[in-house]
Amino acid sequence: MTSLPMRQTLIDILLTLLIILLQTTLVRFLAVGGLEPDIVLVWIVFYALRRGQISGTIAGFASGLLLDLLSGADGMLGLAALSKTVVGFLTGYYFNENKTLQTLGSYRSVLILAGMAFVHNLIYFTIFLQGTDVGVWGTLALYGIPSAAYTAAIGLLPMFAYARRLLS
Amino acid sequence: MLRRLYDLAYLFKEYLVVMLLLSISIALLTLNDNPQIRTIRSLAIVSVGLLQDAVGIVPNYFDLRRENRILRELNLTLADEVSRLREAKLENMRLHQLLQLQQRAGTTYVTANVIGKNLQLLRNTVTLDAGENNGIRADMPVVTESGLAGRVIAASSQYAVAQILFNKDLRVSAKVQRSRVDGIVTWEGGSALNLNNVAKALDVQVGDVIITSEYSSVFPPGIRIGVVAATHPLEGSLFQAIEVTPSVDFTRMEEVFVITAVPDSTRIALEHRAP
Repeated sequence: MTSLPMRQTLIDILLTLLIILLQTTLVRFLAVGGLEPDIVLVWIVFYALRRGQISGTIAGFASGLLLDLLSGADGMLGLAALSKTVVGFLTGYYFNENKTLQTLGSYRSVLILAGMAFVHNLIYFTIFLQGTDVGVWGTLALYGIPSAAYTAAIGLLPMFAYARRLLS
Repeated sequence: MLRRLYDLAYLFKEYLVVMLLLSISIALLTLNDNPQIRTIRSLAIVSVGLLQDAVGIVPNYFDLRRENRILRELNLTLADEVSRLREAKLENMRLHQLLQLQQRAGTTYVTANVIGKNLQLLRNTVTLDAGENNGIRADMPVVTESGLAGRVIAASSQYAVAQILFNKDLRVSAKVQRSRVDGIVTWEGGSALNLNNVAKALDVQVGDVIITSEYSSVFPPGIRIGVVAATHPLEGSLFQAIEVTPSVDFTRMEEVFVITAVPDSTRIALEHRAP
């Protein structure tokens, strides 16, 4: 792992906190048919693709834990941390130090994001729906996959931003 | 050594980090107390149980040796207990039968254990662990649940000696229960008793039950003595020879009852005065 300068680390932390704040406050206004994009997940995937596997894993765990703490009694403490840690770790496999910008600025990043969003929802709902009458696969079909698609669509924004930087 | 461990950890640092963070996440999840986590906990317990079962089929030699030793010791203890329980059951059955006999006869008995026995002589006796302190006197009848056993011939404070039916000196006034034919039971050796003084013409058949008669001054009437095993006429005599198999199995006799009724002395005296 490349050691990051302290300033860059601080910026990353602040950005993470900002995105979590947005996720918990403003993202609800982007809801379409009850589906909300997971911009924290977008952040984790792009962060892991840019910084590598360990950074992505830690970012996934930290942001997931914060989301768990902020969700209060509605959520399950540790569930977002677990699913986002897995996402950060798996995304790290697509990290290529020499082609970071190319990966981030191409549709490859969005495809990775879509796949990771599905994995995230799979883990999340599998645990969240245990002991209930609601079926995991049915929920994934009705909510998990459309939600992952919506999150992937949001991922187009940073992808275009990186593509623009790549072209400039 | 530490250096090598550090190198190894550095090589797999991604996996170590993810394992650590996943462990923390799972630990946090277990802090929740809701149906989902309870279900996952139960699934985890079942999975661990299945895994233990799968691992458990591999036998552990030392455990098996230890278990085998414990089982053998337990087997020995249980076998001993079964033996003692069987003894207690048999004793209970015998005492139960004796108790029924006591209730039926309506007479008073003293229970005694046979502590000495000889069966190979012509004057066979048994020694009982009850004596005058228990109310036993000479001439008192000795019975078992099967029937008449003999008669007390001597008693000390704590012990008594009794003649059994296999004794040349013991004669018992008897009768055939079915035909009421009288006779005297004696023993001349061998495994059977004899019913004497029965005329050839009198009705005695194999299988007839022989009991004590009312003519005895020592034995109460109606006590079973044995069963007729064989009859045949005596050559040159008015009587028939009758073999009787005693009801009591003297080889197995362990407990007896001594009937504490003292023979009627006035009747004996009167009979002795008679010509």
